[in-house]
Amino acid sequence: MVGRVRTMAVVGLQAVAVTVEAHVAGGLPGFSVIGSWGPAAGQAADRVRTALATVGVAMPGRKVLISLAPADLPKAGARFDLAMAAAILLELGVVEQAALDGVALLGELALDGEVRPVPGVLPSAAALSATGVHRLAVADANAAEAALAGGPEVVPVRHLAELLAVLRKEQAPRPAPAGDNDVAAATVPAAGPDLADVRGQAEARRALEVAAAGGHHLLLLGPPGCGKSMLARRLPGILPPLTDDQALEVAGVRSVAGLLGDPVRLERRPPLCSPHHTMSAAALFGGGTGVARPGQLSLAHHGVLFLDELFEWPRGVIEALRQPLEDGVICVARSRATVTYPARVQLVCAANPCPCGGGDRCSCSDDAVWAYRSRLSGPLADRLDLAPAVEPLSAGDLLSAQAGESSAAVAARVASARAVARDRWGQAVTCNAVAPARLVRQSVRPAALRTLANAVEAGALTGRGYDRALRVARTCADLEGSQMVGTDHVLEAYAHRLGLRQQPTAAASAVGPAVAVAQW
Amino acid sequence: MTTADWAGELSAGADPDLVERVLRLAAAPWVHPERLRGAVEANLDRPCVRVEDVIAGLEAAGDARSRPLPRRAQVREVALALLRHGARMAIVGQPGYPRRLADAWPELGAPLWLFLRAPEARLPAAAAVAVVGTRHPTVDGAQTAVALGRLLARHGVTVVSGMARGIDQAAHRGALQAGGATVAVLGTGFGVDYPAGDETVREAVAAAGGLVSELPPGCGPKPQHFIWRNRLISGLADVTVVVQGRVRSGALHTARLAAAQGREVMAVPGSVNDPASRAPLDLIRDGATPLTRLSDVLDIVGVVDAQRGGMQDGPATPGNTLTARLSADASDLLTLIGAVPAAPGALARAAQRPVTTILAAVAELETAGLVRATPRGPVLA
Repeated sequence: MVGRVRTMAVVGLQAVAVTVEAHVAGGLPGFSVIGSWGPAAGQAADRVRTALATVGVAMPGRKVLISLAPADLPKAGARFDLAMAAAILLELGVVEQAALDGVALLGELALDGEVRPVPGVLPSAAALSATGVHRLAVADANAAEAALAGGPEVVPVRHLAELLAVLRKEQAPRPAPAGDNDVAAATVPAAGPDLADVRGQAEARRALEVAAAGGHHLLLLGPPGCGKSMLARRLPGILPPLTDDQALEVAGVRSVAGLLGDPVRLERRPPLCSPHHTMSAAALFGGGTGVARPGQLSLAHHGVLFLDELFEWPRGVIEALRQPLEDGVICVARSRATVTYPARVQLVCAANPCPCGGGDRCSCSDDAVWAYRSRLSGPLADRLDLAPAVEPLSAGDLLSAQAGESSAAVAARVASARAVARDRWGQAVTCNAVAPARLVRQSVRPAALRTLANAVEAGALTGRGYDRALRVARTCADLEGSQMVGTDHVLEAYAHRLGLRQQPTAAASAVGPAVAVAQW
Repeated sequence: MTTADWAGELSAGADPDLVERVLRLAAAPWVHPERLRGAVEANLDRPCVRVEDVIAGLEAAGDARSRPLPRRAQVREVALALLRHGARMAIVGQPGYPRRLADAWPELGAPLWLFLRAPEARLPAAAAVAVVGTRHPTVDGAQTAVALGRLLARHGVTVVSGMARGIDQAAHRGALQAGGATVAVLGTGFGVDYPAGDETVREAVAAAGGLVSELPPGCGPKPQHFIWRNRLISGLADVTVVVQGRVRSGALHTARLAAAQGREVMAVPGSVNDPASRAPLDLIRDGATPLTRLSDVLDIVGVVDAQRGGMQDGPATPGNTLTARLSADASDLLTLIGAVPAAPGALARAAQRPVTTILAAVAELETAGLVRATPRGPVLA
């Protein structure tokens, strides 16, 4: 006879059903755990044996064998402790098989038998519904998180003794704490920084609004201390709140990373991650031994990834961003598994406009400025859409009593522009930034298309830049409530791209002098 | 080409021997304006300072040095280089030397020689006003310089400045826009691309008034060159107007030289809070005439303002087919964009228009090739 109990392993974001089998028999005394696990298996064995002793189940002089199936699945951590203990209790006949039918267990055991929380409970609970499990026993601290999934009934257990009592029907299971899953209550974003704090900055504010309305990538250019970070941190506040599915995805990544906050609530405000430029590629994209953990890029999923001091980042790291930006996922291979994490982020970068920082007394030569700007690689520049100049604050701006427009007012315009876009594209396209170019062109007036095509012909715009400018123009039109994209919208989109130039355009030097002479 | 040939072409009407001797001095790196002043001062106790004595003094100093004056072959090379650049040489007291500078000879800093590239090899004889200021003006400062340049040019007054980015170029461009005369005094020799990439403006100024330099061809920019050339800017003008400048600004130096040369100094009053207006405000405190309206400068040079009654300079009328096709917004914006980059946000404030309008207008002007995008904002192409 073998005791079988169900639990869940997590590989990346994917939860996989795992069966824990326990066999207790005579023979040389020992406690072994088998099934693709490293040296940490021995630690689990010691924890489980000691914890079992606290509920009066001792195994003197017997051979205990635990197997975790499927054996070729990489496993790590202490999440299987509770299931292993339950399997031994079943094998020893302390509890009946019926008590564990349709029950999964997740939790780490303390030496005194207490049940501790583990990461990755949310994706595990969400995946359980499909496996025929209807009850999930987890640590108290994980109960709210498990309840967010809305899947199986959650049984919080504080101590191994409580689990034993529940399984032997000596005690009714405690109700799980209600997860804060109420959409209406959570739609109001937690108070974040407000755009009203930003004085002046007409161009940057406009670019931020367009970026929020269309999901476009943004590069803020300005001297140190002019408020680039301040603006970037206010972007989540004007983005539409996350939908149920998006919020669950975001919470899932945070759960796997062990970062789900306490108290657990489904965060509706899009996340913002601002990694520092000294951060390793592994920390940004995901990494770690054996199975990769999510990096900052995935933690910013459905939110904003803010890269300050863009030109200080190692070139390789920035180049590596291109593929996940296109695909919306990042695939990280490590020794024991290759995992895929979501990475649908809105990129906001900040940089100084020139080597000296670009303050009021900048004396950089044009050559030096262009050399500095060439650090922005062409392919990345092509993936950015808006590059407003963030101006240093003048004394007048600081003294002016007039506060900027509030985040709520901007968010309302963003929401209505997004609603217009959703009506046009349908559910498949989440925002203008990912709309198929072919569809975008259909709603652009011919004169506007021609204006932009002229810029491509003159060499002022690449083919990719052309399509991206059209999408930004579409967003400008949506913000205005205009059905068709007109010349003004296209021109504005083109102007938003001017800051992305890496060299004085060939067009300007070819056309410039002739025109200039004509003008004089 | 014999010495007489090139000397005759380089400085028509002057004695070829004198031309060669002066060019020999000009080609020697150590004969700079401070040495020239020394040579002049050595003669000040005489009843009159003769050009011949100054030249002889410098030649004697050259003979005493370990690295003497250049040989004849080298002088010839310099002469041919000058002619290649289309330049001429003007020697004080000889035909072609600007009259206003001659007034500053000898002790007020006028140079012994001058290289110039100008139509007919002569600088315009009309009244001249120097418009000078910082390399890093505010949008308003640059606009003021453009408007001044335009106003002066329209009234036949030559605009003199130093070709530096900022106020200087804004003034030149204003004059060029109005189709008037403008003269630039360079801090380099001819044939040097400085400020780098601004060849278009330099050529336009050479054709519309003249380029002036006292440095041999190919001589690069050095900080002292710009200090030396200031006395030429003030000396070539009847009035010097300082538009904007910070503490210890070069424009302040030019204004002080102008005052020493007995020329009128005017300053554009700015805000006391604005560091860019420090220099003009200090000058006003020290007795310079404040420019309370642009046309004030016309009164000083004695030109009647044809548009008196209109307080300010009117909008630009570049009057060509290109601008005719522009939208009204873009045409309006074109008058605000100058030689200095201005961020769209600043332009929106200056024009009091929504930033979206400004962005569209900037894009329109850029695609039309009328403005150039820089990382810090658009500038005139």
